[in-house]
Amino acid sequence: MQPDLIRELEVLLGPNAVLSSPEDLMLYEYDGSVEMGSPRCVVFPTSTRDVAGIMRLANRFETPIVGRGAGTGLSGGAIARNGGIVVAFSRMNRILEIDAANLRAVVQPGVVNLDLSRAVEHLGLYFAPDPSSQKSCTIGGNVSENSGGPHTLAYGVTVNHVTGLEMVLPDGEIARIGSKSIETPGYDLCGLFVGSEGTLALVTEITVRLMRKPEAVKTLLAVYDTLDDTTESVVDITARGITPAACEMLDGFTLRAVEDYVHAGFPKDCAAVLLIEIEGLAEAVEAQAAEITEVCQLHRAREVRVARNDQERGLLWRGRKEAFGAMGRISPMYYVQDGVIPRTRLPETLRRIEEISRKYNLQIGNIFHAGDGNLHPLILFDERDRDEFARVVAAGGEIMRHCIEVGGALTGEHGIGMEKNELMPLIFTPDDLALMERVRAAFNPAGRLNPGKVLPMGKACGEIRVPPVPATSAIPT
Amino acid sequence: MSRPWRATFPRLEFIAGAGHVATDDAELAAHEVCGMRPAAVVRPAYAGEVADVVRFAVSQKLAVIPMAGATKVSIGLPPSRYDIAINLSRMNRVLSYDPHDLTLGVEPGVRIEDLTRALAEKKQFLPLVVPFSDRATIGGIAAANASSPLRHSYGGVCDFCLGMEFVTGEGVQAKSGGRVVKNVTGYDLHKLLTGSLGTLGIITRLNFRTFPMPQAQGTFVASFPSPEPAFEFCSAIAHSVLSPQMVEVADPGACRLIFSAKSSMRILPMHWSVILSAAGQPAVVERYARELGHMATAANAAEFLQMNDGEQFSAFRRIREFPRLLLGAAPDAAIFRIGVLPAGMPSLLDALSEIAKRFKVELTSLTRASGIIYAAFFAQSGNGVPSNATMTAVREAFHVCALPKTCARAMLEWCPAEMKRMGVDPWGPWRDDFALMRRVKNAFDPQNVLAPGRFAGGI
Repeated sequence: MQPDLIRELEVLLGPNAVLSSPEDLMLYEYDGSVEMGSPRCVVFPTSTRDVAGIMRLANRFETPIVGRGAGTGLSGGAIARNGGIVVAFSRMNRILEIDAANLRAVVQPGVVNLDLSRAVEHLGLYFAPDPSSQKSCTIGGNVSENSGGPHTLAYGVTVNHVTGLEMVLPDGEIARIGSKSIETPGYDLCGLFVGSEGTLALVTEITVRLMRKPEAVKTLLAVYDTLDDTTESVVDITARGITPAACEMLDGFTLRAVEDYVHAGFPKDCAAVLLIEIEGLAEAVEAQAAEITEVCQLHRAREVRVARNDQERGLLWRGRKEAFGAMGRISPMYYVQDGVIPRTRLPETLRRIEEISRKYNLQIGNIFHAGDGNLHPLILFDERDRDEFARVVAAGGEIMRHCIEVGGALTGEHGIGMEKNELMPLIFTPDDLALMERVRAAFNPAGRLNPGKVLPMGKACGEIRVPPVPATSAIPT
Repeated sequence: MSRPWRATFPRLEFIAGAGHVATDDAELAAHEVCGMRPAAVVRPAYAGEVADVVRFAVSQKLAVIPMAGATKVSIGLPPSRYDIAINLSRMNRVLSYDPHDLTLGVEPGVRIEDLTRALAEKKQFLPLVVPFSDRATIGGIAAANASSPLRHSYGGVCDFCLGMEFVTGEGVQAKSGGRVVKNVTGYDLHKLLTGSLGTLGIITRLNFRTFPMPQAQGTFVASFPSPEPAFEFCSAIAHSVLSPQMVEVADPGACRLIFSAKSSMRILPMHWSVILSAAGQPAVVERYARELGHMATAANAAEFLQMNDGEQFSAFRRIREFPRLLLGAAPDAAIFRIGVLPAGMPSLLDALSEIAKRFKVELTSLTRASGIIYAAFFAQSGNGVPSNATMTAVREAFHVCALPKTCARAMLEWCPAEMKRMGVDPWGPWRDDFALMRRVKNAFDPQNVLAPGRFAGGI
């Protein structure tokens, strides 16, 4: 039966749009997580009609089907957990329309995030969601995962920037929801489909909002001698109602690894830094920079440095965005989490992570979106050491439980995928999950589209299953 | 009191407590929806009681409609069935407020006015400046996705609502989202509930992010002899580095309502007016004053004025209450809410104006420059009953909005119940995505207990 499927896919798409040899498929076994799963084949549609045809074939052959952008996701969303067809959108990578007058663009799902911003740069516009993987991740993937990034603190995540979608439903039907207009009467279907992690439909066209580039940008680096002073600064900035465009924290351990790698000029002898960006009108930026500097100094910042030019600014951000890559130089593996906490609980949470690090004798780095309470603790380990791996699993579980205890969430931007789907019962009741299951079944009744993701697979779960992430391939946001 | 299920009223009293179930005429009349009266009004105090009422309704095959301030119950189609009004005004508690985290959790029956006052004590606010604000509740505002002029810079409910708890059509308590400002855990079902008019679930808790009050605010008005330069002015702002809090374009009719003699404005702009506000540090507001003035002059504005505190207060209040003022002046008005692309606003307004002329009805519009037009048709000498001319104009307007080149999405937010009974669908022509909405409805409310028939496509 399966060879027939491949043959039919080749008839539908042409022979050079279907991969099925084991050596080709190996490249599609993983994404940015270390989850793995082998697809039966990978196909490269070039049109919505192709996608609908693939979906109909998947139905006829009762085969799972999984969408894939650039494979940079961090929760296994693009992995063919149960085999089947991987639909790779890399050939649907055209920007279909740039409507500067209305601040909209219409793109195919395979368009790379940063390519859209580059394409509208000459108009003074950009696409706001900025995951760290933005040089390679696709907008289709951003839509599936509802991706964030440092600047979502001020501008929101992907869902806040999508007004319309064209998609292929699991029954092969082509549907359009939303529109180019700011609002469409009826249920907010875009709000449901964005972030549904490829479990409700395959998105084939996306209408996004574009934003005007700010007049002024200022990037500050506040340097601290204690973690507590750093986190208290974030709490105070938030409490005073100052909303920077981005407010990122890097602890000293991470910083040293980053500095050795990027040479951005980060001080290597401090406990932590805050990387804060302010955008807007020149007057607003000046005033906010002064306020933020005052708060940081009040909390005993050793130094508050302002990037003097775009080059310095770029270097600081390179340090932030390539920090995870830098970890690859000092540890064979790491596991990164994505829990979210109320901002007021930041100091105690960082202290808790330190305790957990000591308790399990593990090195944990912290580099994260402090401004919106989105943690990314990085637990370093060597996969060959089974005892250490067991401690990583236990420590990860404790950190996640702490996030939930203080009123937080499992994931701020990486998605649930197949990494955390069994943890969903920690947040949601069986009734909550049953309703989500029903919503999924309303569009994906056979469960053929991206099976084994988002929702728990069945058995009741309190147990933490923590998969490790290879340091070399992870590109977190 | 003829139908057999009335005998089961004691069950409702058992759920909500004696004194919280009403069947007298005055109460039933107060809970009318599009001319239909329920047989009972129940006032639960907790989510568990709401769930019990819904389960009771399911068991008796009854239909329920949730409401509190009842300021927006005229939106949507008349219900196909309506037995119990679930009045949520007793659920008016602030459940959690962490001003330092800028997050808030509230019950649905909290009046927006009370909430605004509570937040103001901590120098914070929710950007929900909505009509009937003395009665409107936060649950109703979310369920109707009420439009606020501040949407221009803060987005709509869906952009700052972090999560919800609700009761489904099967009487099951469920939730989605959470309390933190960034969260992608699970399906965002609360986004579906926003604007669902109570047809998917009865909201029992809403979590929001709050916003710090700006240090300073300035409100400005620029007056133009015709719509073209007014929209050119808006477009120039949209493509500048300025990002005002609010940009509203009032046509001459809307100007008369907003700047009535009672508003004590130093000038009374009577032509096309662009009303803007800017917020931030004092230096920022000063810059807006300077640059907006220059831009208004460049766009040939007849007048440009920065309002004083009294004028600003009055203008905000009257823009907020625009639908109410309009309905006060023309009770038979049919008020469209139209999502439209900014560049398409002048031509759409032009087309609506042509329709008004052709069918000899009045047209008044207030346009949110980010892309929402409020446009009202009403008879020149209205007597509260929709005229044939108004109905024809409404149908024609729906037709024009649905044209592919217009790229507009229209619904009738307010219109006389009579108009709906005479066959005007306030949701406009059926769209393809209604079939998908039906699937969503079936997942939340398979027995069709919640506000049946009220939503788009008769859902």
